[in-house]
This record gives sequence, structure tokens and C-alpha cells, in this order.
Amino acid sequence: MTVSAQSIEKDLAELWKAGVEDKAQQLGLQRVYTTNLVAYASDHEEGYRVEQILNDLAEKHPGRYILVRPAADRSEPPLRSYLSGHCLFGAGREKRVCCDLIKLVAQPEIIENLYGFTFSLLMPDLPVEFWWPGDLPYENAFFEKMAQESNRVWVDSSKFKKPVQSLTRLAAFWHSRYPHTFLGDLNWIRIQRWRSLIAELFDGDWSKVLKDIRQVTIEYGEGTQPTRSFFLACWLASQLGWHYLGPRLSEFTDRLTFEATQGNVEIFLKPVPVPDVKRDRIFAVGIATGGGQEGIFTVVRDQDPHCVIARSEVAHKVAFSRTVSFDHLHSNELLALGLKHLEEDPLWKKALAMAGSVLVKPKLTLD
Amino acid sequence: MATAALLENPLRQGLFSDRVPEPCSLVIYGASGDLTHRKLVPALFDLYEKHLLPTSFNLVGISRSKMTDEEFKKHLKESLKQSEPQLSDSLWESFSQNFHYVSGAYDDFKAFQTLSKLLDELDAENGTAANRIFYLSTPPNVFEAIISNLGAAGLNREEKGYARIVIEKPFGHDLGSAKELNRRVKEVFKENQIYRIDHYLGKETVQNLLVMRFANSIFEPIWDRRHVDHVQITACEDLGVGSRAGYYESSGVLRDMFQNHLFQVMCLIAMEPPVTYEANAIRDEKLKILKSIRPFEDRTLSQFAVRGQYGPGYLAGARVPGYRQEEGVNPKSITPTYAAIKVFLDTWRWHGVPFLLRSGKRLPKRATEVAIQFKEPPNLLFKSNVTDLSPNVLVVRIQPDEGITLKFETKVPGMTMEAKTVNMDFRYGTTFAEGTSEAYERLLLDCMLGDATLFIRGDETEAAWEALMPVLNRWETTEPEGDFPNYEAGSWGPAAADQMLEKPWRKWRRL
Repeated sequence: MTVSAQSIEKDLAELWKAGVEDKAQQLGLQRVYTTNLVAYASDHEEGYRVEQILNDLAEKHPGRYILVRPAADRSEPPLRSYLSGHCLFGAGREKRVCCDLIKLVAQPEIIENLYGFTFSLLMPDLPVEFWWPGDLPYENAFFEKMAQESNRVWVDSSKFKKPVQSLTRLAAFWHSRYPHTFLGDLNWIRIQRWRSLIAELFDGDWSKVLKDIRQVTIEYGEGTQPTRSFFLACWLASQLGWHYLGPRLSEFTDRLTFEATQGNVEIFLKPVPVPDVKRDRIFAVGIATGGGQEGIFTVVRDQDPHCVIARSEVAHKVAFSRTVSFDHLHSNELLALGLKHLEEDPLWKKALAMAGSVLVKPKLTLD
Repeated sequence: MATAALLENPLRQGLFSDRVPEPCSLVIYGASGDLTHRKLVPALFDLYEKHLLPTSFNLVGISRSKMTDEEFKKHLKESLKQSEPQLSDSLWESFSQNFHYVSGAYDDFKAFQTLSKLLDELDAENGTAANRIFYLSTPPNVFEAIISNLGAAGLNREEKGYARIVIEKPFGHDLGSAKELNRRVKEVFKENQIYRIDHYLGKETVQNLLVMRFANSIFEPIWDRRHVDHVQITACEDLGVGSRAGYYESSGVLRDMFQNHLFQVMCLIAMEPPVTYEANAIRDEKLKILKSIRPFEDRTLSQFAVRGQYGPGYLAGARVPGYRQEEGVNPKSITPTYAAIKVFLDTWRWHGVPFLLRSGKRLPKRATEVAIQFKEPPNLLFKSNVTDLSPNVLVVRIQPDEGITLKFETKVPGMTMEAKTVNMDFRYGTTFAEGTSEAYERLLLDCMLGDATLFIRGDETEAAWEALMPVLNRWETTEPEGDFPNYEAGSWGPAAADQMLEKPWRKWRRL
């Protein structure tokens, strides 16, 4: 049977009608859409992972979800669609709140031209978010069109397999190539709590010592890419007006040197052996100040895996100490946070520009 | 609203927590009480978890009970564990590191001197910059003693930092006592230092009334006497008087719910657009509404106000006692546990539109909502097939299941022109990933930030009392019409409430 927007909408209507007529449940059913989210998965395995994330996201941010992935082999039909509904049963709620997921599995050459079809399935008048979970592609027609037509594109720079290449390209051409499309990075949302905890240490009178920062150490799990740590470093540098003192990097390094108004600042990205399976996380941040008042400002994961400790020590005396909850945020939670506001974080743009000034200039196409 | 101290920190820019107040001390009078344990400390903990509590923050609890700092913290921790069962020791230690306790009578000036000294020490130790909030979570009969002693100890002064006072309801017992309390408070604190709390205003959905009305253009043109038939504001509870009999016997439903919560919600529904979203601009408009309430007349009062008291009945299948059988209640009490009143606002916009307010205990469920019922179409086009069109209703559910519903007619599929009423629903819980915050969380934060928008001004409380006094006076000096109790627990209130609706198409909503 030919797949068409009409047939999919008809099947969806039937699906929901069946839900309403479910006599066993005797409950009302309410479809809720707060956004359109189109996700792309490069293969079956990633498709499975993305689908799970969308299922979980449905509880927090119901919307029209569309997942596009290539067919596993050439024997599969050119285009197939799978429909599923997701309903949330809240405690004591009289109604089920539901949204739907349309999965489109197509041969690669079909996907190249699938953006028009994908757009025909979107809910009108709602923003279009496009989530590209992998590395930034070269010469991909589907990505290109979706990026041009969507309101925002989501990437996760900490999941890039080639982070330097993808970051340099994002920094170099995103805003000139897609001037009307916001760019969002789940990695940026992920490090927001680190930023917040670090910022707290410098509230009030302590903001005066920001100019005296001489050294920053960011610890991350050994054997992983330090993309999160690198972004945190770029945020600090861009917010505090530091300038990178070359050379431009084609790979992440463990030491970055910046020029600040009161002298140079060294940032160390330090891999540490950790038994934790989530080794790509940031484990500790230490900021040392010089000047008149030597101080150490730290944010460190506590022995309690659900907490971190933010602490400052000036002249060998504890000036501030605070323990706060710090549970791991899953991708669906990061997306839910990101989808709350349709805007681009100007600080993210600044941090990305800083990343662009540290990393080598990119090649725009494959050799 | 980022404070100056935070704006100086460039690392704060763009963070969700840029609404963090400046360092301060919060002094709670009545610190061993229920409100502190059940609401205030959990709200502070939520702010702490959201990084919205200032980095330097002292909490000083004061009450008559003798306790050490450690005992005070232990009690608070036990209470907090009720709402935060996962609370770890390290988190608690960090949160409560600057919690202190002072025991003393509220009329003992020495206790205020001790407090003053302690606050100075804490300012020096923790950099709280003499910013102080005094929260009166005590019975109202000690308000005056606390306020005058705060003044005598110089704790009302704002020479180095700010000094604010938060006063819990009830703000007065009647118009006279409210005026007297206002006078006493203002002898010590200026109006801009006074934060009269009505926790209803801290509820997300109550604030959403403002957003719904003034951030959308579709409602304003029909928000008037030409289109609205009537407005119903309901706050019902399934609970009885419980352990509050002592308080409730002397207050009753009018003081407990109408003078503050229901009148405030009515103001937000009825007021004109304020010129800015600032405390005094909004409070000016609310005051106009309170002053526009058509005075209740003694001779016609029964057409405008109905009182009730619950008798024994059943709730969720279980037998529950009547009000007069509750512990601590006078067996011949005439305290109303239910009231329905019809309010007319003498304004150009609302002339002739009844605002029907009701509240009661031991009703079938706990719910608060505002329902705006619109007039029927002037000409029924589908007369031959459609005989019973329901009016359009816009419902704002304040609690539980916060949201907005629009009720409208739609064609039933088929060859005939039949219409059916359907609901279009918006639910907070399913649209936003983030849950709505507790009212006290928002109000405590606003007070720390110096934002009085969601607090009540002195003249508002007086205007609300003034409007209600004729009903209170009549009900407190005369026996109820018919016998009390006049409604069964678990029912929707006395039948007499239906008679005040006047028109056959007006019915109390079944929530």
C-alpha cells in the first residue's frame, strides 16, 4: 500500500478512535500537541535509542513526533510508516493524555527527498524542532532542507564521534548558512547546572575575584572525549572576556591558555580514572585565584552520587560551602528542558564562537 | 528580576536562576508551628534545590518552646522528610547550616534584643548585609506585640539593608480590627516594607489569570456585561474543620475564604488592565474592584447571601460527623461552614453581571475554579433540530488539575443538524514538563526580591472587610434562616443557594 500523508492521518484517526472506544478502560482520551519534533536516526540501533527517548519525552512534552531512519537493507520497501500512540496515565486523572509517533523507514535515496513529505505530517501552527542525534553531516539533502525549514535544530555535541570537526563547522558556518534557524545543543543544557554552581561561588563581593582567576582545572572521565569540559571552558572564557592564545587545535588538548586583563589563565582539561560507567561526565571543577586574596573555588561530585559540593576557600578558610542534589539528566529530560522556550541562548552562541576561535578552521566539504 | 549584586557577576548571565535574591536573613515567628514545618521550610528547601535561595542565607526560628539550634533543626528535618523522603544527610546539613533558634515570649523585649544581636553576628559571619525578613506565622493575637517589639528593638530600620515584615492571614477579624492592625503595623513599618500574604495569589493558576486576560487579545473584547451572563467562583473542600475548630468557630467561612481568597480571585477576573506589571499598578486596579462591590442591604440580604453548616453525612462512602459534632465545636454553633454570595460590581464593564461566589467544607470534593458563563446566542438558528443549547463556559481550574477548559457546541456527525456540547481542554500538567511551584515558594522568593505584586496592600484588606461587614454583622447577630445544619456532609450545600441564582439558566456548577 502506498504511504501518503492522508493514509497516515486516517490511520492515526482510527488509532485514536479505537482508544476512545476502549470499553475496558472507560476513560476519556485527550490528544495534546505542544510542538512538532522530527528526529533522524542513522541506523536501526540509533533508531531504537531515539524512539525510546521520544517515548519518555512524550510524558513531559507531548507533541507530534516523527522519527526518520534509513531501511536496514535494500530488500525493504522504499518507504514504510509505523504509527504508535503514547498515553500518560496521571494519578487520579480522569483522562488519558496522548500524543503520537510516526516512524518513517525509507531507502536512503528516498530520505534525501523526504523533507516535503515529513513537513506534510506536521501539526500546523506549532513550532518545528529537528533533532539530529549524531555528528554533523556533510552534503545531506534531508538535513539541509530540514535545517532550513525548521524553527530549531538540536544536536548533542557531547555525542559527536568527531567532536572537533563538528564543532568547528557549527562555529564557522551555522549562523550564516541557516540565519533563520535556531541551534540548540543538549550538551549545553547538560552543563547548565555546572555553570550555575560555578556562578554561585562568585556572587556578591566574590565577583571581584573573577579578574584574578589564574587557573581552572576541569576533570572528566579518562578515555572519553572532553567535549563537555571543553564547552565549560569556552563558556568561562567567553563570559569573562578572555582571549585564546593559540595555537588553533585540531584535536582536544589538556591545556588551553587564555589572556585575561590581569595576566594569563591556564585551563586544564584533566582526564581522571573513574569507575563510573558514565565516564564522559564532568567530575570536578577547580578554580584558583591569585591577586591579593588567593582562593580555591571548587565544584566536586560528592561521595553521594546524587549530590555535588560547591565550596570556596579563601586564605585557607572556608568561605562558602553548599551541597546540592545533582541527579543525572537523561536525553529526554534535556530535550524537555530545551523545548520549553523557542529561542537560542545568546551565551551558547558566545561559547560556540569561543570554541571556533580555539579550534582549527573547518573544511566545509569532504575531500 | 536580577538583583544588582548578581548583575555584577557575569557568570550569572543567562542562567535560569538569575532571579536569585541578595543575601538575607529570614526570621520566622511561630517557628515550632504547623505552617513553618509543613509549608515554609519545604518551600525554602525547594528554592534551595532550584538554586534560588541566596548563597548567604540565615534562618532564625523563634517561638516560646525551649529548644537548642540542634533540636530545632532535628524537628525541621523530620518534617521535611515527610515531603522529601529521599533527603540525604549531606544535603540537609548543607541546607540547614545557617539555621538558628531563639526561644522567647513574643512580648518579652529581651528576646528581641537577643535576636538583634544574633542577626548582627550572622551578618558579620555570613555576609547577609543586614537584609532581614520577619515572618509572622503566629496566631493574630500576638501580631501587635511582635510588631511593636520589632520597632522598639530597631529591627524595622533600613539603614544598612532592608527590613520587611510578612503577615499571614487573618489580617484582622473585621473592619475595625483590620484598620487597627494596619495602624499599628504602619507605626513601625512603611507600607512598602509590609507583605500581607494570601497564599492563593502565589498559585501558578491564579497568576495565570493575569496572563490569560492580558497576554491574549481574544478574551478582552468579550470580557464584559454584553457577553458574560455571570461568573462563578468556587472553592470547595471535602475536609471538615479537623483540628482547626478553635480558629474556625470564631472565623467561619466568610473570614476564612471570602474576605481574602475569593475576593482576590474575583479582583483578578474583574479588574481593568493595569498600566504596568508592577505591584502598585495591579493593586490599584484590584482596589477599584473591591470598592465597586455593591453594598449588601440588610432587608434584601437573603437574596444575595446564603449560609450553611454541614451535618453528618457520607464522604467516599465513609460516615463523617456534622460540624456540631466535631471536637472543640459548640454543639449549638451557628458558625457557617458554607456560604454563597451574589456580588454585583458597580462598574461600567460589569454592571448587572452577578459574580456568584461559594465556598464550603465537607462538599463532595476539593476543587477551586472560576467559570465565566457567556450569554446564549441572540437568535437560535437551528430551532427545528436543536432545542437545548448549552451556554459557552470558560473554566479556569485553580486546583487540582490546573488548567483551562472552553465549553462550546459542535455538530454531531450525521444527516441531521444536532448539536452537542464539547470541552476543549488545556492542562498544565500535560503541557509543561515542569510542575507548578508551591505558592509559598513563589511568595517567599518574591518577598526576598522585594516584589510585592502578589501581596495585598493595606487598603485592599480594608476594602474587602468593608464589603463583607453587612453579611458578617447580620449572620453573627441573627439565628440562621431555617435550622442548622442545613446540608449533609458530602452534598453540594444548602438548597437555598440555588434560589439566589434568579434565572432558570443559571445553575451552580457540579465540579
